[in-house]
Amino acid sequence: MRPFTYTKAATAADAVGAMAAAGPGARFLAGGTTLYDLIKLNVETPSAIIDINSLAELDGFDTSGSNELVFGALARMSDVAADERLMRDYPALLESLWMAASPQLRNMASLGGNLLQRTRCGYFRGGEPFACNKRKPGSGCAAREGINRGHALLGGSESCIAVYPGDWAIALSAFDAKVDVLGPTGERTIALEDLYREPGTTPQIETALDSTELILRIRVPATPLGRASTYHKIRDRESFAFALASAAVALQMDADMVRDVRIAVGGVATTPRRARRAEETLVGQPLTARTARAAGEAALHGAMPSAANRFRIELGVRTVADALMIARQRACRR
Amino acid sequence: MTDPGDLVARALAILTEEAGTWRARQAAAPMLPAAGGTKPEPGTGGDPAHVVSVRLTVNGTSHTLSIDARCSLLDVLRERLALTGAKKGCDHGQCGACTVHLDGRSVLSCLTPAVHADGRQATTIEGLSPPAGDMHPMQQAFIDHDGLQCGYCTPGQIMAAVACVNEGHATSQAQIREYMSGNICRCGAYAGIVAAIQDAAPKMAGA
Amino acid sequence: MSDAPFPDVPRSDAHDKVRGAVLFGADDTRPDILHAALATATIGKGRIVALDTSAAGAAPGIRLILTHENLGHVKSAGFLMAGGHAFQSLQPMLSPAIAYRGQPIALVVADTLERAVEAAARVQATYSTEPISVTLDAPGAEIIEQANTPLSKHFPEIIAGDADSAFAAAAVRIDARFTTAPQHHNPMELIATVAEWKDGKLIVHESTQNAEGLRHGLVAALGLLPERVEVISPYIGGGFGQKYAMQMQTVLVAVAARRLGQAVKLVVPRAQIFHDCSFRPAIRHRVRLGADRSGNMVAAIHEVDAQTSRHDLFPAHYGAVSSRLYGIKNFRARARFVRNDVQTPGYMRAPFEHAACFALECAVDELAYSLGRDPVALRLANDTATDAISNLPLSSRHVGECLRRGAERFGWGKRSITPQSMRADDGSFIGWGVAIGAYPCLIAPAVARLRVTVEGGVFISIGAHEMGQGIRTALAAAVARKLGVPAANVSAVIGDTCVSPQHMTAGSWGTASAIPAANEAADAMLNALARLSPRGANGRTPAQILRAVGRAFLEVEVRTKAPGQPDEVYGRIAAGHLSFGGPVYPEFVTFSYSAHFAEVHVEASTCRVRIPRVVSVIDCGRVISPRTAASQVRGGVVWGIGAALREVSEVDSRYGGFLNADLAEYMVPVNADIGCIDVEFIDKPDFKFNSAGVKGLGEVSLVGVAPAIANAVYHATGRRVRNLPIRIEHLL
Repeated sequence: MRPFTYTKAATAADAVGAMAAAGPGARFLAGGTTLYDLIKLNVETPSAIIDINSLAELDGFDTSGSNELVFGALARMSDVAADERLMRDYPALLESLWMAASPQLRNMASLGGNLLQRTRCGYFRGGEPFACNKRKPGSGCAAREGINRGHALLGGSESCIAVYPGDWAIALSAFDAKVDVLGPTGERTIALEDLYREPGTTPQIETALDSTELILRIRVPATPLGRASTYHKIRDRESFAFALASAAVALQMDADMVRDVRIAVGGVATTPRRARRAEETLVGQPLTARTARAAGEAALHGAMPSAANRFRIELGVRTVADALMIARQRACRR
Repeated sequence: MTDPGDLVARALAILTEEAGTWRARQAAAPMLPAAGGTKPEPGTGGDPAHVVSVRLTVNGTSHTLSIDARCSLLDVLRERLALTGAKKGCDHGQCGACTVHLDGRSVLSCLTPAVHADGRQATTIEGLSPPAGDMHPMQQAFIDHDGLQCGYCTPGQIMAAVACVNEGHATSQAQIREYMSGNICRCGAYAGIVAAIQDAAPKMAGA
Repeated sequence: MSDAPFPDVPRSDAHDKVRGAVLFGADDTRPDILHAALATATIGKGRIVALDTSAAGAAPGIRLILTHENLGHVKSAGFLMAGGHAFQSLQPMLSPAIAYRGQPIALVVADTLERAVEAAARVQATYSTEPISVTLDAPGAEIIEQANTPLSKHFPEIIAGDADSAFAAAAVRIDARFTTAPQHHNPMELIATVAEWKDGKLIVHESTQNAEGLRHGLVAALGLLPERVEVISPYIGGGFGQKYAMQMQTVLVAVAARRLGQAVKLVVPRAQIFHDCSFRPAIRHRVRLGADRSGNMVAAIHEVDAQTSRHDLFPAHYGAVSSRLYGIKNFRARARFVRNDVQTPGYMRAPFEHAACFALECAVDELAYSLGRDPVALRLANDTATDAISNLPLSSRHVGECLRRGAERFGWGKRSITPQSMRADDGSFIGWGVAIGAYPCLIAPAVARLRVTVEGGVFISIGAHEMGQGIRTALAAAVARKLGVPAANVSAVIGDTCVSPQHMTAGSWGTASAIPAANEAADAMLNALARLSPRGANGRTPAQILRAVGRAFLEVEVRTKAPGQPDEVYGRIAAGHLSFGGPVYPEFVTFSYSAHFAEVHVEASTCRVRIPRVVSVIDCGRVISPRTAASQVRGGVVWGIGAALREVSEVDSRYGGFLNADLAEYMVPVNADIGCIDVEFIDKPDFKFNSAGVKGLGEVSLVGVAPAIANAVYHATGRRVRNLPIRIEHLL
């Protein structure tokens, strides 16, 4: 770990101002479960840390609104994962929180920081000697011809096939979430889907955020679709592991027909991915094993396998299909 | 070969020393002076901009420390305050052996920058029960159900277990298993750990 | 002397462990300790051409940087399996040669941990590289027959009858190939060394299963007198074989401590551990199994290729156990080494037995299905009382009872034999699988010293290491019973080279070696007490007798060894050399046995494999400490689940080393992976083997779990997966 200076910001405006003044070597510190982890690996080497945990205006959340749910960027995952309204009205959001990480990590981690978590790719995290265009632009991508069992099937490029490993962002994608950010020139709102960048030729750029921008809050438009929703996560062990494939699904049924559906997939792509084609295959259709599978196939359409991850295409298809069936059971219970 | 009498005397000395050293640490915590002590201050020869002062309360005792901003709470607890109950198993938040309570919530001290504990209350395994008094019901339950073997992950397991109950997640065997999955036990004492939590939960005040 | 089963009592060190009061090596936090960190090689093989430590040395607080250029007079301590003391013959930092990725190239010592770690990251090396070969299938890998090496003297070929002819003539033949991936022990405790020089003595606090070996390894490496070295290891945070020999960093920390005149502490980070110590090598097996139509196994051929390093031959003794599972009169085992550019592999819990029994027990299951026989019945029909390899009787063998008891507990009678014929309510496919395991019963020499005091204290000092298996508890239980005192009054003083020669504790021989010695010491004490009070004990405790005759304490010493061992072994153990005997003794052969029954649920769509229950029945002789023994078995089952379904150390053959070098990507089972594990012991003592009737347990508890799971997966899915770990992609 390189040494760094440490300051605490008192307000969001202070934080942004301090970041703008500090220059490219500075980082915001929230829960630290990503940044501190990567600092210990020397993957992140900030010279200055701006601690934003005192920004009290950002640590609350409100799920009572009739127009939208509002989550402060510093709300802790475990607090939100215990919210009873969410459990009843948006179980997918709740599940995407409590199925992530471990209880201790959920007590530490912030919602905003969780959005910005970085890939688990072993070549990225492992440092020298692994070729990694994300960590060291121009050095190559060791995963493409290497151990890529867990790497991306969708959204990859010649430069990078690292998977976005988070859960919360997947569920948020299904619900058209928006992110408010503050920069030196003021506030702006970004659709969550537009927050993330595919690697392309610049895998080191992961988001649409400027380095001086701070996430303030996440807003989710209220929708009755939330009630019959689920986040279904398939992993290599029963808990405390990242997704091999996951799906956030929300359904509204008219008897046996699908009136409206949301599908987002995780664990299989370089960014959170809303599966609109898959949704289109289902609207106005009956929800059967066949149509659920077809939706899964549409969600994984265009998947480009590497040597060791082809099985995750089929796994992803089945995960989407299973998630639809779980959501349908929840629809029927209403 | 050394005289057997000497060797057994040495054995006695070791036993007394082992027990005595730990008791000495418990009674005198903090063992190490906050500032101006023999422990080299992090600012020596380095850039003072990288040093921070933190005030944290650990097991009811307040400490003011000058620390390297890079320090983890785990390393401060272990190396500065001689509270070695919390263990380093991975240093990256992947095993749970470093679990302590911060303001009543379970956290991983290896992934908590020590600066985050400024102004806050930490509880470690050493603070769960008094050194010479009754044990916490969870500790007794771990003994009764053999929820341990080598003992290395045990402090972290117990702190996580207490939090599991306090945070309302010990309502079923399945839920306990899920909420204790952040604490890896390579000796495989999981069955005993779950049984211990089921036993202790109703005995814990306010559970 | 009571021959009754032992009562279930708490683990003797549980009280201290739940308080966090037990001190492991890294828990030394004295104020003036210095902190060390390692820099390691990033190439897979080659040489350091230039090493620049100037940036590292310029950082604040740096006290010393050791490299091959300034390490001074240090020698290799030699490979333990070749008469030395270390886990490999290659001691890093003696030369610029790099043999594997992750090999240490510098030790940095600083006044704080953060500074040491930072400086170590600043060490810059330039290398010349050579091509590497790091897998069994690597082109140009060097393959060597074990029979053509000096190892064949200690690990002779396992042969009985004419297996090739008998197999060719067999009515039913199974010919199957299996692979088991490389794996790492990953005990929870990080490898750590604290070294200090005090009054001309080197004192090392390091968790080890072999304090004497570590001590003599330092003697050899640094040219010291044995009396000037002490190794202290009262508790180990998990051993599993990882700590069976001197590690790579101990010498480096000792040199640093001497140069600096202060205690130095090194805690090796988890990622570095993957390359800093031994591991379970990758293995491929071919098993050929022949039987007649009624199910008698008439022939078996077990051939193995196993990884080893370039610099050492780690033995491949797989056939020694696959030949002993059943009474197969025609048996041939063959082992070959594949030299790779890795650190030397080593003993990882049931090192040969887990892999060998996986291969053979899966083949037996295939045989059962070929014959249309129930897998339990087939195994029972091939039971034996004689060792086919030596033709000696087995001193005890209750594996048939393990199978019968286990089948009953499990409800095996309700199994419908056809694969995919059992479904759960949630649509999962249920599979029920069975396998047996065996583990050789070894005994190491021991010197036991027993002291009783007038205050009522009882101290047993012996060569043993507590790593959670409960040896302290077992020692206390055995001595307490003999002397008629409460077990809580008995303290076991172990893991310290000053109290007694600390022979390695491994190979499941700890209890079988220590308990008989402790019992003999107790008998000697009773005799000595009787001499003190000729009118008899009259129900008095040792303390009361001492008070009556006005003595402060009484002490005895005894020595024990394995049947057939010469007295020279006592000199060997004092010199830190491996000295176990068995499992073939002059008049009998001894093994421990297990039978494991596993239920798996395979999710229909995703093929996730869950294990809601396992029943394990164990024949390990007399159980001295029922509570810790049951925990050992549960732990072994968890290990088996990990080995079968989770654990693999990933190798990218372009870089070498292991890619998933952390506890997130190297997946050991978590709590939610484990369901119900039901354990029963046969608990019949084997007094032919030793006077306490105890046999080994720590590893037989793992052997057979993986094939039981693999066989259950076959029963659930109809798919034979012959590679471990079994993962979703094998079933999807």
